Amino acid sequence: MSEFAMEIDNVDVGFGPPSQRVEVLDSINLQVKPNEFVAIIGFSGSGKSTLMNLLAGIQPASKGTVYMNGEVVTGPGPQRGILFQNYSLLPWLSVYGNIELAVKTVFPEMSASERKDYIQDYIDMVSLTGSEWKKPSELSGGMRQRLSLARTLSMKPDVLLLDEPLSALDALTRANLQDEIIRIWEEDRRTVIMITNDVDEAVLMADRIVALTPGPKATLGKSFDVELERPRDRTTLNFNHEFIQLRNTVTKYMVRINEEAKALRKNANLPLPDLMPIDFLSVGNQPRKVRVELEASNESTATEDKRELVGAGVEND
Amino acid sequence: MSDQTPLEKFKYGLLKTIDVSGFKVFDPVARLVFGEEPAKQVGEITRYMIVPIIFVCFCMAAWNFIAPRHKTKSGEVPTPKQVWSALVTNHTLHLRENEKQSDFQLIGKQREDTIAEIEKTLAEKEKESEELKSKLVEVEAECKSEQEGQLEPLNKALGELKAENKKLRDERTAEATKVSQSVIAKSAQSDELLEYLREDSKMTSAAKDNEKELKDDIKLVRDDKPKKQQEARLGSSKVANEVQHLKKRLDYLGTGNRSVKVAQAEEAAAAALAKLEKADTAPATLTAAKAVVKSEERASKIAEQEYPRAATIWFQVWRSLFTVFIGFIMAAVVAIPVGIMCGLNRIAMACLTPIISVFKPVSPVVWLLIFQIVVGAFFPDPESHPFFRFFASLPWIGTLKVNPAMIYSACTVAMCAVWPALVNTALGVSSVDADHLNVAKVLKLGLWQRLTKIIIPSSLPLVFAGLRISLGVGWMVLIAAEALSSSDGLGKFVWDEYQNGSSHSFANILLACFVIGIIGFFLDRMMIVLQRSVSFDDGAAVV
Repeated sequence: MSEFAMEIDNVDVGFGPPSQRVEVLDSINLQVKPNEFVAIIGFSGSGKSTLMNLLAGIQPASKGTVYMNGEVVTGPGPQRGILFQNYSLLPWLSVYGNIELAVKTVFPEMSASERKDYIQDYIDMVSLTGSEWKKPSELSGGMRQRLSLARTLSMKPDVLLLDEPLSALDALTRANLQDEIIRIWEEDRRTVIMITNDVDEAVLMADRIVALTPGPKATLGKSFDVELERPRDRTTLNFNHEFIQLRNTVTKYMVRINEEAKALRKNANLPLPDLMPIDFLSVGNQPRKVRVELEASNESTATEDKRELVGAGVEND
Repeated sequence: MSDQTPLEKFKYGLLKTIDVSGFKVFDPVARLVFGEEPAKQVGEITRYMIVPIIFVCFCMAAWNFIAPRHKTKSGEVPTPKQVWSALVTNHTLHLRENEKQSDFQLIGKQREDTIAEIEKTLAEKEKESEELKSKLVEVEAECKSEQEGQLEPLNKALGELKAENKKLRDERTAEATKVSQSVIAKSAQSDELLEYLREDSKMTSAAKDNEKELKDDIKLVRDDKPKKQQEARLGSSKVANEVQHLKKRLDYLGTGNRSVKVAQAEEAAAAALAKLEKADTAPATLTAAKAVVKSEERASKIAEQEYPRAATIWFQVWRSLFTVFIGFIMAAVVAIPVGIMCGLNRIAMACLTPIISVFKPVSPVVWLLIFQIVVGAFFPDPESHPFFRFFASLPWIGTLKVNPAMIYSACTVAMCAVWPALVNTALGVSSVDADHLNVAKVLKLGLWQRLTKIIIPSSLPLVFAGLRISLGVGWMVLIAAEALSSSDGLGKFVWDEYQNGSSHSFANILLACFVIGIIGFFLDRMMIVLQRSVSFDDGAAVV
C-alpha cells in the first residue's frame, strides 16, 4: 500500500487532434497524505476543473497515472466523492430523493428503515432539515450546494474532491458554508482536495496550499504548509500575524507566477511568415501555388493572435 | 410557510392549478374573488378577457351577417343560431335513441307501465298535433290570400305593361316596314333604316327589362314565406315528430320488444316440441325434432339481440376519441423506445434517419389506403374473428363497434403521429445535461439505472412535448381518415352530411367543425397539463 491517499504521477492532459493540440496540464505531480486537506489554488482558465475531473476519473490522462491508495484510477467512482461547482443536482428529485439515489446505488445492501435514518442524518448535517421534499429549483444557491455536499458525503468517499464549491455563492453564504465544511471535516476527518481561486479561503481551510501555474500547459508550482492551529476562527484570524504573512506570501507568489507567465508569453517568438510585400500588379500573373502559400501564412498568424487573446483573459483575476 | 391560513393555502393551490393547466386567463378572476388588488385585476380582466370576448362576439355577428347572404348549392350558409339548433336536434336524436334502447330491453310490469304512460302522452300529443295541423292549414290559407292580395296588383300591372309593350312594338314594326319601303322607293337612305332598327332593338330590350323587374317582384312575393307560416309549420312538424317518436317507442315496447320476441320464439319452440311428441312416423319425428332445434336456436339468438342504435353525434365523438386514443398509444409505444434508442446510440440514429426523413412527409391519405389493404388481409371475416369478438365482449368498448375500419384508421393515426414523438424523444435523450451524466458516472450507474434514474426523467419534458404534437396531428389525421374510410366517427359524420345534402346538412357540418375543434382543444390542454407536471425547470412541477 502506498502512503499517499491520492497521487498524481507526471500526468499530462491535452485536447484535440495533434495538429491543433491544446495542452492543458503538463507534468503534474501531487501527493496527498491520508486525512490531509489540500487546497489547489489557481487562476481561472488555468485548468483547475480539468485537474479535478482528472482526480475524479472523469477525464483520462494523456500521459502518466493517477493513483488512489496505491491503485491506478481508471474511471470515476463513489470512493472519490466530487462536489461540482454547479451542484449537478437532479432537478426532478427532491432533496431526499437526490441523496437517496446516491445512497441506494452506493449501499445497496442497506435496509429501507436504515437508509431513511441514514439519509436524514446527512440532511440534518448540512442543516437542510425541513426541506426534505423540496425540489432543487425551490432552494437557494447555498442550500443547493449544501445538498450537493450532503449527497457527496453520504457516499462515504475516501477522498473528497471539492471543485470550486463556493465560487458561485455570495460572500456571506460562502463564509457560512466554509465554516460548515470545516466543521463537518473536523467531525469526520478524511482526505480533501479543494480547488479554489480565493487565497483567504485556502489559508482558512487547508493544511497545505499548492499553486497551479497559469495555463496553457499548467503545472503545479510551490507548495505552502499552513500550520495555523485548528479550529481557526475567521474573526480573530484577520489579526493573526502568521495568517497575514502566509496570505501575503501566497498572494505574492501567485502574482509573480502570473507575471512570469505573461512575460513568457510576450517573449515567445511568434514565427512571422516569411513574406515579401505583395506586388499587386503581378499577383494575378503569378502561378497559383504562390497565392495558396500566401493565404496559408495569413491563417497561421490569425491563430497566434487568438491564442494571445485567450492568454490575456488570465490577467483579469 | 406554516403561517398560511387554510384559505390562503386554497388560494395558492387554485392559482397553481390555473397556471399548470394553462388557463392563465382566469388567474385575475381567481385573484379578484379573493380580493387581491381589485383595481389591477379588473384591468387585467378587461384587457385579456373582456376585449377578447367582445372580439369573438364581433366575429359571431359578422358570421351572422354574412352567412345568409351567401347562397350555395346546398342552401344558405347557416347562421350561428342554425348551428346551435343543429346541436339541439342532434342531442335530441341521441336522447331518443337512448329511450328506444331502454324500451327495447324493458320487461314485465315496467314495460306495461311504460306502455300505458306513453299511450296517454301519445293521445295528448296527437290531439295537439291535429290542432296544430288544422291551424297550419288556416295560417297557410290566410297567408295565401294575403299573398294573392299582394300579387293581384302586380300581376295586373304586368299584364298592362306587356300589352303596352306589345302595342309599341307592333307600331315600331309597322314603322320599320314603312321605312324599308321608302328605301326601295329611294326616298330614304338604307342608313336611316339601320339607324331605326338599332333604336328599335334598344327599346325592345328596355321594355323587356321593365317586364323582368316586375316579374322579379312577383317572384319575391311568391317566394316570401311569411314568418307566422314558417313558425306554424315548424311547430306542427315538431309535434308531429314527437308523435312519430312515441309511436316508434310503443312499437319497441310492444311487438318489437325483446322480451315479447323471446316469448314468441319460446312459444314456437313449445309448439314444435308438442308436434314432436305427437309425431308417429320416423321421418315426421326427424322433421319435428329439426324444427325444435331450429326454434330453440332462434329463441336464444333473439335473447342475445341488442337494440340497433343509429349513430348519433355523441356516439361518433366517443368512437373518434377511442380511435385516436388507440392510435396515439400505438404511436407512443413505438416512438418512445425507438426514440430513446436513437438518442442513446448514434448508429441507431443514423439507421433510422433515412426512414424518418422519407416517411414523415407522406400524406395520411396514402397511409390510410395502405393500411386498408394490409389490415384487411388480417381479418378476412371480421364478424367472427376472435380479435373483434374480444372487443365486442368488453363492457363499454363493446358499444363502440370495433371493426377493421377502426383499426386501420387508428393505424393511420399512429403512422402520422409517431414522428413528432420519436424525434422529440431522441432529442430529449441526446441532450441530457452533461452535469447529470457526470453524476451517473460518479455513482457508477449501470445502463438500465442510468436510463431510468437520469436519462428518462431528464428527457421527459421533451418527450411529452413530442407526444402533445403527436396527439394534435393524430386528431387532425383521424377526422380525414374517418371521412375517407367511412369508419364511424366525426369524420364520417361530416362526410355523411356532405353526401346527404338535406337542408340541415350544412349546419351539421359546421356543428361538427366546432365539436372537432373543441375536443382538439381539450386534448391539447390535457397534454399541456401532463407536460407541465413532469417538467422541472419552471417550478410548476407539482399541482
